[in-house]
Amino acid sequence: MAFWRYAGRRGLHTAVTLLLLVGFMFVLFRMIPGDPTTMMLGTGELPAEAQQRLRVLWGLDRPLWQQFIAYALNLLQGNLGMSFYFRRPVSEVIAPMLANTVLLMAPVVILAIVIGVAGGSWLGWRRGGRAEEIGAVLALIPRALPVFWTGIVLLALFAYQFRWFPIGGIREAFFFPENWWQRLPFFDITRHLVLPVATGVLASVADPLMIQRTALLEVRHEDFMVLARARGLSGRAQRRLARRNAILPVLTYSAIMVGFAFGGQVLLEVVFNWPGIGRLMVDSVTQRDYPVAQAAFLMMAAVVVFLNLLVDLAYGWLDPRIRGG
Amino acid sequence: MSAMRVTDPARGQGAMRRRAVLQFLAALGVTVPAGMVDAVLGAAAAQPAPGSPVPRLGVFTPTWPDMVELWRQLSRDWAPLGIELDIQQGTLDTFVAQVVAEQKLPHMGSMSWGGAPDRLDPDYFISEMFHSRRDIKGGLNFGHYHSAEFDRLADAQRAETDVPKRQQLVREAQRPIVEDSPALILFHRDIIHAYNKARFSGVTPIFGNGIGFPYMPMAYMGLTPLTPRKFIKITTIYDIASLNPFLTPEIYNSTTLRLMYATFVTRDAKADLMPWALESWSIVDPKTVDIVLRPGSKFHDGKPATVDDVKFTFDFINKWKFPALSRVSDAVESAEITGDHTVRLKLRTVYAPFVANVLGYAFLAPKHIWENLPSGLATPADWPNDHPVGSGPWRYGEWKKGEFIQFAANPDFFIKPKLEGMVVMPVPQMESMVGMLERGDSDMLAWNLDMTLGARISKSADLEVVRTPTHGQHEVRLNLAMPPCDNKAFRIALQHATDRKKLLDIIFSGAGTVSQGAPITPALTQWANPDIQAPAPSIDQARAALKDGGFSWNGEGRLLMPAA
Repeated sequence: MAFWRYAGRRGLHTAVTLLLLVGFMFVLFRMIPGDPTTMMLGTGELPAEAQQRLRVLWGLDRPLWQQFIAYALNLLQGNLGMSFYFRRPVSEVIAPMLANTVLLMAPVVILAIVIGVAGGSWLGWRRGGRAEEIGAVLALIPRALPVFWTGIVLLALFAYQFRWFPIGGIREAFFFPENWWQRLPFFDITRHLVLPVATGVLASVADPLMIQRTALLEVRHEDFMVLARARGLSGRAQRRLARRNAILPVLTYSAIMVGFAFGGQVLLEVVFNWPGIGRLMVDSVTQRDYPVAQAAFLMMAAVVVFLNLLVDLAYGWLDPRIRGG
Repeated sequence: MSAMRVTDPARGQGAMRRRAVLQFLAALGVTVPAGMVDAVLGAAAAQPAPGSPVPRLGVFTPTWPDMVELWRQLSRDWAPLGIELDIQQGTLDTFVAQVVAEQKLPHMGSMSWGGAPDRLDPDYFISEMFHSRRDIKGGLNFGHYHSAEFDRLADAQRAETDVPKRQQLVREAQRPIVEDSPALILFHRDIIHAYNKARFSGVTPIFGNGIGFPYMPMAYMGLTPLTPRKFIKITTIYDIASLNPFLTPEIYNSTTLRLMYATFVTRDAKADLMPWALESWSIVDPKTVDIVLRPGSKFHDGKPATVDDVKFTFDFINKWKFPALSRVSDAVESAEITGDHTVRLKLRTVYAPFVANVLGYAFLAPKHIWENLPSGLATPADWPNDHPVGSGPWRYGEWKKGEFIQFAANPDFFIKPKLEGMVVMPVPQMESMVGMLERGDSDMLAWNLDMTLGARISKSADLEVVRTPTHGQHEVRLNLAMPPCDNKAFRIALQHATDRKKLLDIIFSGAGTVSQGAPITPALTQWANPDIQAPAPSIDQARAALKDGGFSWNGEGRLLMPAA
């Protein structure tokens, strides 16, 4: 019973957070000077009368509060509105870019977490040793480097110098396979994925790795680990036990990682010419395409908020002390 | 009274602090679009008292490398005049929103204008940028130039359909611009494109278009494959936003769609007008134009293109008043079928650039498609038009947003393309574009290269770099409503202190045409005025001009406003 009251309270918090987010973003984008019609007006292509016709057509001539109510009502029905720039439903604009981003970021997040957990456990187990010192520094270096720099270095080496991988893009327009391995399904898309995924993993592996390492250090001295040693478990079994018990903080962190992955990685997408949601978000702000910008940011925020809710609920389920709070 | 004008010191300090913070943020790469320009304007609005030091001059410039270099040079070159600049950078959208839409130009601002095909007609650079009528929010006369003499000449050339007479008026209209100096028109940077000559031959460099821009479709008509692959891969920086030709006025998007939707006229290899969807046109009187459709024309779905489609196109545009095609509905009053292939257009006003800018922009739309759109659209411009059907030399293949747009040759067009198709790929980074060309992942680079990259590309035996002059231009616009830029002597002094040739050499390795100070490039001999010349670059003459205008210098060499 206590859990459900807790869940209800947290659910309400989430709803209020989202509502505030919707309002905040609506106002925020409209505070940028210029509107979508001035961007079309651009370098004098549209006379003022034509611009005014567009404003009326797009509902931009109405007071802000009326625009907000129309937007909120549509949103409640799951309608994200029409993009000003593309003149298509926002969902049609976002969906393919989101799919491209998931294609890129899913391997990044999964590999970063798997490598991070494995590496962090390995380092944590070797606390104080030479290997730990060097390993931790090696993991932190790419994290400290700007992601576009890492990307450019990988491109310079593996695309320009050795020519193993393409320079960018998600696939080659009209790719003609020349031999049997090039005929394998997904060959073209995979070779386009290698460098951006490697760059993304290099940039993001340090966080799960360091979290896992710290958690493992704490777990190592817990009573159940002492007991495991006393029971005569093999070293390998002990490490496995420690790893599994230390993984919770990484899972919490991965919720945030996934949320941000949905927002794409603008720099990664620009360096590798990847048509993803990050670039769409930047473009839509530049073009004052409010509906697309709002929807993209809202989606990213909603993913973070919901995953946080899930993690909180999971904690509440697992640890009764939290429900009281 | 003059003492009253001095800003309240406390407020002034606040503004300075805010500006310092903004500059600090800008140094970090954070741009604060709204606040930045307002801060500069706030400082500039203070009227300098007679005899007081000329205030630091606010400059707004885009963040592009060429513009950064331009201002680095100008602040150095102008320093001997005793003036200091307060340079603020912003993105293009900030420029559009603040300087164009809101008309908030600080003392001066720099911009480069692309060589869109409709700017080949002199009317654009004359009327749009300097006519007092365009000194309105959203107009390009954001430097507030007003000259009754210039306005008269600009209006007259626009209404003169006799070409030699119009030429004379256009030439005359450029004189007040050079004499009054409302802007420092600097140079016309060449378009530099590159292509793989081992794979394709028959490139057609066209004035204002280069070999690769889609502005003038004749550029692609001569391309001939030299290898078994019969389609060319072109990289550029932009992607299109829509397949609906009635939606967007944006130059890249609208010209790309016009590869499929043939305009009525186009530009040939010499950039002169030639019929395209039309077979011919004739000016009956200044407000009546007969257009003759090319017999035997077909749309891409195989249906014949007829005068019904021509009439429908103009009626449709007039009915819906599409903002993107407002120049068509503003010009054409009615279209009547007068023969098997002939349609008579009645114009609302006499408009000399009509053939170039209206018939060269309007395209033939198939009636059987656009009159049968699904219901429920607020305007036909909102229809996605997922499978464009036009009558142009290229048929629609496929568009994958952010990846490519593909065209297939239309063998029914009166000039048959020598290629089987084209793939145009948007690549947001110049380095990637160059890399793709060098590796053979693309065959043509159709975006503005600089000479350094051009030289690098030229090292590859298979690649060739092509330079083409253009009417696009770099300029510094002066705000004539703000002292000291309201003072003609000051503006002339800036002209003398600006060495156009040196700037072109430094910024673009000399690849371009130095401006005469007039808005029309000297390379466009038909419209340029050979008898005018920008003030010669000379610091001594610049100082003399200032002295003649009553300016003086204090002990530290700082320029002082003329005494009252």
